[in-house]
Amino acid sequence: MLKAEHITKTYNAGKKVALDDFSIHVPKASIYGLLGPNGAGKTSFIRIINQITQADSGDVFINGEKLNPTHIKDIGYMPEERGLYKNMSVGDQIVYFGELKGMSKNDAQNEAKKWFDKLHIDQWWKKKLSELSKGMAQKIQFVVTVLHRPHLLILDEPFSGFDPVNANLIKDQIIDLKNNGTTIILSTHRMESVEEMCDYVALIDNSKKIIDGRVFDVREKFKKNIFGITLSEVNDSQLDTFKNKYEIFNLSNENNLVSFDLKNESDQNHIILDLVNVGKVRSFDERIPSMNEVFINAVSNNS
Amino acid sequence: MNNIFLITKREFLTQVKKKSFIILTLLAPILLIAFGSVIGLMFKANESHSIIEVVDKSGLFKNQLKSDDQINYVFVSAADEKSKINNLKGNESLDGILILPELKSENFDDLEQNTRLVINSKIGFDTKQKIVSDINNVIKKEKIKQLGIAETRLNNLDKSFTLKTINVSENNKEDSDLNFGVKTVLSMLLMYVTFMFIIIYGVRVMRSVLEEKNNRVVEIIISSVKPFELMMGKILGVTLVALTQFFVWITMSVIGAVVLNTGFSSMPKNMPGESEGMMGKFDILQMGSQISHSLLELNFPLIIFVFIVFFLLGYIFYSSIYAAIGSAVDNETETQQFTLFAILPLTLGMYGSFTLMNNPDGPLGFWLSIIPFTSPVAMIARIPFGVPAWQIALSIGLLLGTTIFMIFLAGKIYRVGILMYGNKATLKELWKWIKG
Repeated sequence: MLKAEHITKTYNAGKKVALDDFSIHVPKASIYGLLGPNGAGKTSFIRIINQITQADSGDVFINGEKLNPTHIKDIGYMPEERGLYKNMSVGDQIVYFGELKGMSKNDAQNEAKKWFDKLHIDQWWKKKLSELSKGMAQKIQFVVTVLHRPHLLILDEPFSGFDPVNANLIKDQIIDLKNNGTTIILSTHRMESVEEMCDYVALIDNSKKIIDGRVFDVREKFKKNIFGITLSEVNDSQLDTFKNKYEIFNLSNENNLVSFDLKNESDQNHIILDLVNVGKVRSFDERIPSMNEVFINAVSNNS
Repeated sequence: MNNIFLITKREFLTQVKKKSFIILTLLAPILLIAFGSVIGLMFKANESHSIIEVVDKSGLFKNQLKSDDQINYVFVSAADEKSKINNLKGNESLDGILILPELKSENFDDLEQNTRLVINSKIGFDTKQKIVSDINNVIKKEKIKQLGIAETRLNNLDKSFTLKTINVSENNKEDSDLNFGVKTVLSMLLMYVTFMFIIIYGVRVMRSVLEEKNNRVVEIIISSVKPFELMMGKILGVTLVALTQFFVWITMSVIGAVVLNTGFSSMPKNMPGESEGMMGKFDILQMGSQISHSLLELNFPLIIFVFIVFFLLGYIFYSSIYAAIGSAVDNETETQQFTLFAILPLTLGMYGSFTLMNNPDGPLGFWLSIIPFTSPVAMIARIPFGVPAWQIALSIGLLLGTTIFMIFLAGKIYRVGILMYGNKATLKELWKWIKG
C-alpha cells in the first residue's frame, strides 16, 4: 500500500542527518511497526508521509501513486506531540477537524456519532475539552484521527499517556480497523505492543534502517539456536554424560527440578531422544528472542 | 482556499464567543467614559473657590476688582481692618484679607510695597496668581488713564491680526486655523486607532499561535492544511474579530451621540444667566457648523480608501511578524525580546507623525510615509492634509510588496517554529529557518 524508496532527509544544511537511504514497503491491511530509539528518524519519516516536511531525495508511493496533496485526505495522523483546543466544545472540535480533512459538516457529525457510540462517550458532545479528564481527551483525540475514514492510519507513540484500560480499548479499535482493510503504521519504542499487534516491523537506528520484515521472520532471524530445558526426577550420572555431549549453561536445581539452557546447531529431536534417559522432560522450548531483545541486540550491533 | 476559510471561521468564532471578548467589547466604551469623567471630576474637585475680603483705602479698586467663580472679592470698610484680621484666625468661611493702602501722589511702587494679603491657611498658587493679575489689570488701567488715552482706542490697539491663507493647489480654498485644527485632530485620531489596533490585534495573533503550539494541536492541523494556510487563516480571523469590535464600538458611539443629543436639546431653555448661555451656545453652534464644513471639504473617499488600505496592509504586515514570533517561542514571557522588533518601528512612526503636524509635506513626513515599517501610521496621519497621488501610489506599492515578502518570511519561520518545542529560538536560528 505504501512504498518508500531511498528516502534521505537532512536538517541544518546537511549537518544533521535524519534519514539515510531509508526504504520500506507497507502491505495493505497490515499493522506495520516502526521501531527505534528516540531521535532515530521515525518522526521525520512520518512527517514526510504527512507532507509536513519534504524529503531531500527519494520517493514515497501510495497505492502506486507518487505522494501528492490529494493523499492528505486519505491519511489519519496522530502525532506524538498531540492535543486539542481547550476552549472548544468536543462536538465543534471534531466537526472542525473533519472539515479540514474535506468532510461535510453532516458527514463529520454522523461519523463522529458512530464512534461516540462505539466508545461509549456520546454524552460528551457539548462539553468543553477543559472539562474532560486526560483519558477522556485521549479518546476524543483518537476519534479525530480516524473520523474521515482514512485508508492509511499513522500513529506516533499511540499509547503514550494512555492508562491501561484506555490503551486496551484503543488497541482493539486499531485491530478492528486493520481487519476492515485499513493500513496502519505504528511508531513506538514500546516493544510489547509491537509483539502483540504488528504484522511487520522495521527497525531504525541512527537514521538508517537496520532490519525489516514480518515480526515472526525478524525474531527467527535473531534466534541463536538456544533451547531451554526443564527436567524432573533426574538421574545424576546420566546428566553427567549428557553434559559432556552438549554445550550446557545456566544450570540450576530447585525443588527437584533441573533446568538449563543448551546451544545446538543440529536437529533438536536428537536432544529430546537423549533427554529421555536423563529424566522426565517437563518443558522443552526454543529460545526465540523477544522484540525487545532483538531491538537491543540490533541497536548495540549497529553502534 | 477552503481551508483558509475554515480556519478563519474557527478563529473568529472562538474569539468572539469568549466571555472576555463580549464583556470587554461592551464595557470598554462605558469604562472609557467613566474614566474620563473621573479625571474630569478630579480636576473639578481640586478647583478652589476663595472668599477674599478687601480693605481698599485707595478707593481705586471698588467696582474694578471683579469677583468670578475662582475668587469672590468682598469689600469691607477700612475701619473694621483690625478686628477683621483678629477674627480671621479660625474663620473657615473666609480665606484672606487683601489690604490695599492709600495711593499717595500717584506713586504705584509705594502702593505695591504696602499692599498685603493676610491669610489664615495655605493659599493656592493659582489663587495668588489670580489676585496679582487682577490687581495688575486695575493698576494698568489707572496708569493708562493717567497717560490720557481712551480705553476704546487702547482695545483697538490690542486687536490681533488674522492672516488668511489661500491654497492655490486646492481650488483657492481658504485654509483657516480651524480647518488645520480639524485636520490635525482627524489625522491623530486615525493614526492612533491604526497604531492601537495593529498592536492589540497583532499580539492576539501571536497569542493564538502560541496557544495552538502549547495545546500541541498544531501538528494535527498541519497534517491537514499547509502551515501557510493556517497562518493566513489565523491572521484573517483576527482581522474579522477586530472589525467586529470596531463596528460594535462605532454603533455604540452613534447611538450614544444620538441619545445625548436628544437629552441636550430637551433641557429647559429658561435658565438663569440665559443671555450668556445663549451667547456660548451660539458660538458652539457656529463652530460646529464650521467644523462640519471643514470636514465636508476634505476628500473623504480618498481618506477612507487610504485608511482602509494602509490599516489592513499594515495590520497584516505586523501580524505576520507577530505570528512568526509566536511560532518561534514556547511561552508568552519569551516573546518580549522579539516583540520589540514589531513595536519599535511602529512607535517610531507614531511619534514621528506627531512632529509631522508642523510640516506635513516635509522630508520627515515624506520618508516616514514611504518606508513600509512606518508608513501604515504615518501615511494615515498625513492623508487629511492632502498627499500627492504619486506618493500614495509609491507607498502602497512598497507596503504591498514588503507585506507579501514579510508574509513569505514569516511563513518560513512559522513552518519550522511551530514544530519546535522546548527551546527558544535565537536570531541566528531564525535566520537559518528562513534560509532553509
